[in-house]
Amino acid sequence: MNYTKTLAVLATASILAVTVTGCSKDTTATQETASNWTGKITIWDGPRWEENANKYAWIESQKKAFETSHPGVTVEIVQVPWAELNDKLGVSIAGKAWPDLAPVDISGNGVNPTFVKQKVLEPVDEFITADEKKDFLPNAISAWTQDGKLYGLPLGMTVHGMLLNLDLFKERNVEPPKDGQWTWDEFVADMKKLTYDKDGDGKTDVYGLSTYVKNGYYESWPFLYMDGGRPLSDDMSKFTFDSKEATGAMKKLADLKTLPVAPKEMGSGDVGGTWKAFSAQKNVAVEPWATWAISAAQKAKMSNFMVAAYPTGSGKPVTIGGVGGWMMFHQEDAGKKKVLADLMKQLTSKDQQVVTAKNYGTFPTRQSAVDANPFGENLQMQQAQKLTQNAVMVPKHQQWKKIDEAIQSQLQLVLNGEKSPEDAMKEAKKTADELLSK
Amino acid sequence: MSSPHATKSHLDAQATTQPATRRRSSLLREMWKQRAAYLFLMPKLILFTAFILIPIIWAFVLAFQEYGVFGSEWVGLKNFESVAKSELFRSALWNTLQYTVVTVPLQVLIALGLATLIHPLGRLGQSFFRGAFYLPTVTSMVIIAMVWRWVYNYRYGLFNYMLSIFGLPTPDWLNQSSTALWALIIMSVLIPPGVGIIMYLAAMGSIPEQLYEAAEIDGANGFQRWWRITVPLLKPTTLYLTMLSLIGSFQVFTQILLMTGGGPGHATETLVSLVYKTAFRDLEFGLASAQAIVLFVITLLFGIAQYWLLYRKAEED
Amino acid sequence: MRIKHSPTRWLTYVVLLVWAVISLLPLYWVFSTALQLPDYVESEPPKMIPMGIIEYFTHPESRSQIVTDTFSGFQQLFHSTNIWRWFFNSGYISIVVTVGILFLDTMAGYALAKKDFPGRNLIFWLIVATMMVPGQITLVPLFIMVQKFGLMNTHWALILPDLSMVFGVFLMRQYMLSIPSDLLDAAKIDGASEWKTFWTVVVPLAKPALATLGIFTFMNVWNSFLWPIIVLNDADLYTLPVGLKTLQDQNLAIFKLLMSGAAVAAVPMILVFMAFQRYFIKGLTVGGVKE
Repeated sequence: MNYTKTLAVLATASILAVTVTGCSKDTTATQETASNWTGKITIWDGPRWEENANKYAWIESQKKAFETSHPGVTVEIVQVPWAELNDKLGVSIAGKAWPDLAPVDISGNGVNPTFVKQKVLEPVDEFITADEKKDFLPNAISAWTQDGKLYGLPLGMTVHGMLLNLDLFKERNVEPPKDGQWTWDEFVADMKKLTYDKDGDGKTDVYGLSTYVKNGYYESWPFLYMDGGRPLSDDMSKFTFDSKEATGAMKKLADLKTLPVAPKEMGSGDVGGTWKAFSAQKNVAVEPWATWAISAAQKAKMSNFMVAAYPTGSGKPVTIGGVGGWMMFHQEDAGKKKVLADLMKQLTSKDQQVVTAKNYGTFPTRQSAVDANPFGENLQMQQAQKLTQNAVMVPKHQQWKKIDEAIQSQLQLVLNGEKSPEDAMKEAKKTADELLSK
Repeated sequence: MSSPHATKSHLDAQATTQPATRRRSSLLREMWKQRAAYLFLMPKLILFTAFILIPIIWAFVLAFQEYGVFGSEWVGLKNFESVAKSELFRSALWNTLQYTVVTVPLQVLIALGLATLIHPLGRLGQSFFRGAFYLPTVTSMVIIAMVWRWVYNYRYGLFNYMLSIFGLPTPDWLNQSSTALWALIIMSVLIPPGVGIIMYLAAMGSIPEQLYEAAEIDGANGFQRWWRITVPLLKPTTLYLTMLSLIGSFQVFTQILLMTGGGPGHATETLVSLVYKTAFRDLEFGLASAQAIVLFVITLLFGIAQYWLLYRKAEED
Repeated sequence: MRIKHSPTRWLTYVVLLVWAVISLLPLYWVFSTALQLPDYVESEPPKMIPMGIIEYFTHPESRSQIVTDTFSGFQQLFHSTNIWRWFFNSGYISIVVTVGILFLDTMAGYALAKKDFPGRNLIFWLIVATMMVPGQITLVPLFIMVQKFGLMNTHWALILPDLSMVFGVFLMRQYMLSIPSDLLDAAKIDGASEWKTFWTVVVPLAKPALATLGIFTFMNVWNSFLWPIIVLNDADLYTLPVGLKTLQDQNLAIFKLLMSGAAVAAVPMILVFMAFQRYFIKGLTVGGVKE
């Protein structure tokens, strides 16, 4: 019967499991064998760009190169869909079955404070010389640093910028901002001109601006930063999004809907719908996006668009960035750690950063790669690269994801016109204060 | 339904005041007599224990710990205290309750109604509608959510188009706190319960025709025959479906995540999305387990209540 | 209840048809998007038919291009991915689990419905209660169990937990409650063994329920993707939904390809449904439906 077979499998499997775990304990005892460590490395990666119809071609070529330069080391690639990467990682960490290296995706905000707190990440400081470190951009390094230690190496940056549909600008006779810079008042004046009734049925059908609000996404946030408002104080001890600078900016953004130069759905959590409105239906002239959208727009045959900065208020020009890269999980063997660091360095080398920038629409995090000018012909990426200088990261507080959720859910209500910015941030402050005092 | 003799002797065995040894031996004797039943159950129970029961017990133990990858700490009832204090948990619980109380009875009634309409049709009609109502369950929630987002779009969505024909107000359903949860409830009710229809049809096919013939001779009309014969005989199926729908509603998650992400504000936050975030975003498995246990206890209470309402009362009849 | 007169009958058809259209919309949309011309895939409001059908006639000069574009999603799927491998993996796993579940759950359901033994209610309620625990919190302990048994990165890690699912036991128990006990008692008086009674009396009587369970199980297993993603590491072991997921870009869905994948994945489920569906008509009664 079926179950006897099942039982047999179960029994043999459990015996096997015991012997296997027994063995592995013996091998981990052989430490101190420094850099001539040999064995198997497990690395996870998600689909990147396509080469010969293969979205894992880049990591596969990296594997080959590394195995050649490190005889006796085999690299095993695990293909993980990006959307489920975090779930798989969570379960694997809890089961102490983590990979040796895993990627942080490009929309990531650098190192994950929860992983650091759980001590499952290895700092890599000892493997990076001061000279090597100097080549990395300071804001990328700081995104990957927690409590003075560097957890992993950055590969590429993203930044949020405004995408402008120049066809609509032309149609409405609006001059696009010079060098991509505009003040809030200039911006609002342009938005008014770009909002109109295209098909002449008496109803507005093209709007100046739209965006969305969702946990973990920051397209709308640089607006809130424009007058100098920030979510937390610099030492991350206080919630400061209830300041006049922040709530004033929230009100300005929300008022765009009553002017109206923004559609009713601005501020909902519909990422796909917002993108379609800009790229397919073309009934929104300007939308802020993370820079992955540039290559997406280029692929969607939107030839006539440009990238501009967020409008500036009374504060410094600012945008929000994210830094993707590689992290190393907890290791017992010092020799293996060294080999893993070698692989990380290979994956984030100048050449690989240039290749990734060209194909994947991210910005290099090494000065040498920036100098290699990877976006030679790509006007929009060049425009966006300028914005990276002003990029700041969201706070790296351990409880940030919960604080973020408290803010974003209130922000939705503000943009919906259901709550005043002051009341909303008072509510968010309650949650945040509790989390900050932990 | 089960043999009344056996039940009685079993009860007697428990109730007698005979010495403990005799009681035990009579229990063993009873178990030996019914050894076939245990053999029938055993393969499933072994798998069930290994892959369901033990993981659940394990997860429940976690609820009394603060989780750490390299060693968890016993914290007593601290996780449950956090659950009790959490405002977010309370609003998620309230949303989930509203959702459940409305959708469960409607889903079951609609399944019963549609199955009743389909059952008398000819072979071809039955096959067609069974397929039409069941096959869409092969499409993933992601796709269903996409379609329904379009249905609810306030500018060109189907729903508002129909409302505007009747001159009714056309709100932006999914993006307002006052309507978002109701939009999701309406969606769950309007998506035909394919599983329920299939199960009711299977059960209806097993009702002996002679029962209807006898009732017809007694002069019962169509509705009376349905009410007095079909509905009571379908009770085990109804119980199953209500229980399943109850569990599904209390654990509603994917479609809400895809449709509203829990917003606007926390208007459509549900319990399981909270559990999920606590476990996989924050790696706080202990707290997540505590949240899940509270959800489990509430579901169990509802489950027992509806079992009692549907089943015990049916047996008394 | 039978509907004999045409007015009620027509009303019935109208209600059923309207609802059936609502119901079929998402499934239809999968297939129509899979066959949509790339330029129209993202139009809003969505185009309800594959525009290739229209353009084939309005643009006779570019017909071959239109045909290529219409099927480009499938073309890409079958020529540049490992889809056959994934298909095979999903297929055999789903079949093994479905057959196993039909055996295990019918036996267990029968015992719980028709046998009276000490501990019966306890076991029944234990089974029902475990269904009420959200799966999100048992993922980690289950993962550790699977690891302890040494099943990681094997198909057993999918098959064994799936075989343990209990909704089928509950389903079979409920169905068997409605089978009159007299029929079983009659067999026992004839001196049939327990196994023979089960096999020759119970199983044939339970055919509609077996068909239902078979369909549910097959679809559950065929569609599941989060657990397979978590326990499988080797791309050759991936099932169809996992494989399709690994094609998905980080930020922008390649819609047409995804829908083509969904369409391909739906076909076996539709076939399985058709195959099982003939067992629905014949139930306990002979000639149940009269025109």
